Amino acid sequence: MQRRTLLQWAASCATVLPFQRLRLLAQPRELTPAAIATLHEVGATVLPASLGAERVRGTVDMFVQWTRGYREGVAMAHGYGHPRLQKTGASPVPAYMMQLAALEAEARAKGGRWSSLDLDTRRALLDAALTKANVRALPPRPMGQHVVADLMAFYFRSSEANDVCYSAMIQREVCRPIAVTIQRPKPLR
Amino acid sequence: MTHETDICIIGGGITSAMLAQKLSELRSGLQVTVVEAGRSIFDTQNRGRYRERANDYGEHPWHDDYIEDQQAAGIISMTMAVGGLALHWGGACNRFSEEDLRLKSIYGLAVDWPIEWNDLERYYCEAERRLNVSGAPSAYAADARSQPYPQPPIPLSYNLQILKAWAEKSGLKFDGLPMARNLTPFGGRGACCVYDTCGEVCPSGARYSPDFTFRQLMEPKKIVLHDRTLVRRLVLDDRRTTVVAVQGVHQDRPTDPVEYRAKTFVIASGYCWSSHLLLLSSNSRFPNGFANSSGLVGRYMNGHKFINAIANIDDQTFPGQNMTHSLISREYFRCPTDKPFVRHDTRVWESSAGRDPRLRAPDGKLLLGDELMADWRSRTKGSSVRLRAYVDVHPSADSRLTLDASKKNRYGDPMPKIEHAFDALTVAREAATRAHVQGVFDTMAKASNGRIVNRSEGDYLDHPGGGCRMGTDRASSVCDSYGRTHDHENLFVVGAPTTPTGGCTNGTLTFVALTLRSADEIARTFPRA
Repeated sequence: MQRRTLLQWAASCATVLPFQRLRLLAQPRELTPAAIATLHEVGATVLPASLGAERVRGTVDMFVQWTRGYREGVAMAHGYGHPRLQKTGASPVPAYMMQLAALEAEARAKGGRWSSLDLDTRRALLDAALTKANVRALPPRPMGQHVVADLMAFYFRSSEANDVCYSAMIQREVCRPIAVTIQRPKPLR
Repeated sequence: MTHETDICIIGGGITSAMLAQKLSELRSGLQVTVVEAGRSIFDTQNRGRYRERANDYGEHPWHDDYIEDQQAAGIISMTMAVGGLALHWGGACNRFSEEDLRLKSIYGLAVDWPIEWNDLERYYCEAERRLNVSGAPSAYAADARSQPYPQPPIPLSYNLQILKAWAEKSGLKFDGLPMARNLTPFGGRGACCVYDTCGEVCPSGARYSPDFTFRQLMEPKKIVLHDRTLVRRLVLDDRRTTVVAVQGVHQDRPTDPVEYRAKTFVIASGYCWSSHLLLLSSNSRFPNGFANSSGLVGRYMNGHKFINAIANIDDQTFPGQNMTHSLISREYFRCPTDKPFVRHDTRVWESSAGRDPRLRAPDGKLLLGDELMADWRSRTKGSSVRLRAYVDVHPSADSRLTLDASKKNRYGDPMPKIEHAFDALTVAREAATRAHVQGVFDTMAKASNGRIVNRSEGDYLDHPGGGCRMGTDRASSVCDSYGRTHDHENLFVVGAPTTPTGGCTNGTLTFVALTLRSADEIARTFPRA
């Protein structure tokens, strides 16, 4: 094979190789330990401290589990009234990794670890990050726009958070006997 | 491949399930074959997991319940599977009222249905029994019933008890909505566990779902079900007007046509695909489609409009107790003849609208952790209440389903296009109807220091029907009151398509009741050996 022919053959292969797929395959599917560590630090800021450190930590761990359970390209509910087909998007993990790395870098630029910054500084950094990601409201559930908004949605949209907010055992969408629902919800223990 | 059967039912939704069940009881010797374009999704054991995935990730709990190139413009759901839309209906089982059947006689509007109320009422009772409806007798005497509900009412949640007391200060009377939801195990289905996702998926099977009925009929071979088989054409006898066969294709064998030959054919394909099949089946003798000598197949497509509001009141509730249950008032099912015509139901739900957690304070400050929780908690005093009215609107002949030659499926069949239109009188009273409903909501809101904080209107018609309307005059209807088409003595259409008007409350129970009435006629008239 002549050198020019080889180059032409290589060039033509390049046009048909699934580089997009290769790029996706090369991307992380799971949060790295470093990213998880940053997430725990951020979680202590964005989740209610009144839950206690253990529950905050547990909530972050459950969110990490959520990222592991994410599946790409799965059909989503097509709706009622004006139905349309939609599929779940690419895994949010690569974006999460970049967002967490950016927060960590911003914190270092401000002089230290995330947890060592004062609340106003942390708020300013989070505000800028969410604004940059075009997050305007708390998502109805984790939607992949920004890891911080998604972590907050993961908790604040939960049945558990609803109970904490109302200080009552409502147990929204938790399997339970109908008889439980006819009474005023018991105070949260 | 050709299949021989006695009765061929085309479509596999809730009316098909009820029809097949009843025919198997009335004429157990007959072979009943159900042909459904979509697939069977019978893995009931996985529904809890599917629900979790739906809640956590937004995944659809009914995998592959649609056929991508078999869709219609103007349709309200893409679902095409064994069980149909009733795989994920809410389970609402409220009846129409006698006024729906006598609009022309009482008000000079639209048309009368060719059925007496007492006749339909019997079938309502049967439908409620088969669906195991849980309900309370209506607070209105005019809603008299000949039989009690098969189950006691779903107990009102604490929230609904509060909201009932609030709503009734307006002078309207409210009851819990009757629902096809098991309070105790029944019909191979579990009891309600208040998963509160009735409209998506019910893991316990407490909310009636036709897939259970089909499985129960198939396993002892009471019926035959062929899924993933799209019926594309009806075929006429060479000399007579009877239908001799239907032709279609199985999804896995698109080049190998399949034919079903039967003595009786029943189209139970819902408001969209029933008319579509009749129009698709045109031939030289019926160039406008089958059953269409009146020219009314695909016309008078109906449904009801809906008007919504959110009220804020001082009474305290706890959103999340039983959000899929609701209250209904039938006060405005009946309109005095000396007043401007307006008919609607009035529904009340617990709600968290406007009281959900938010990311930012009104001044734009990003809320974090306990700040967010405190902000959320500060907005939970009192309650939000969701209000809705389904409004009785009447279709014009131009409310149509047509074949759209620009959109075809893989077999080259034009897909349907639905465009609703109202008759002139409905259009003329639209503003007054809106004002009336808003007035009712305003009156309700006044109690408990309430006020309406949000108003909206639906932009589609809910519980659609029509397209093959029933009547006694073959020039102004497609079928008789049993769904037997005027043009083809052995061809029936059942359920939603046969309704002349859409009523002012959820339609499914009515579609089922009409179908059970058709079943009696089909069984009675099917030749005995």
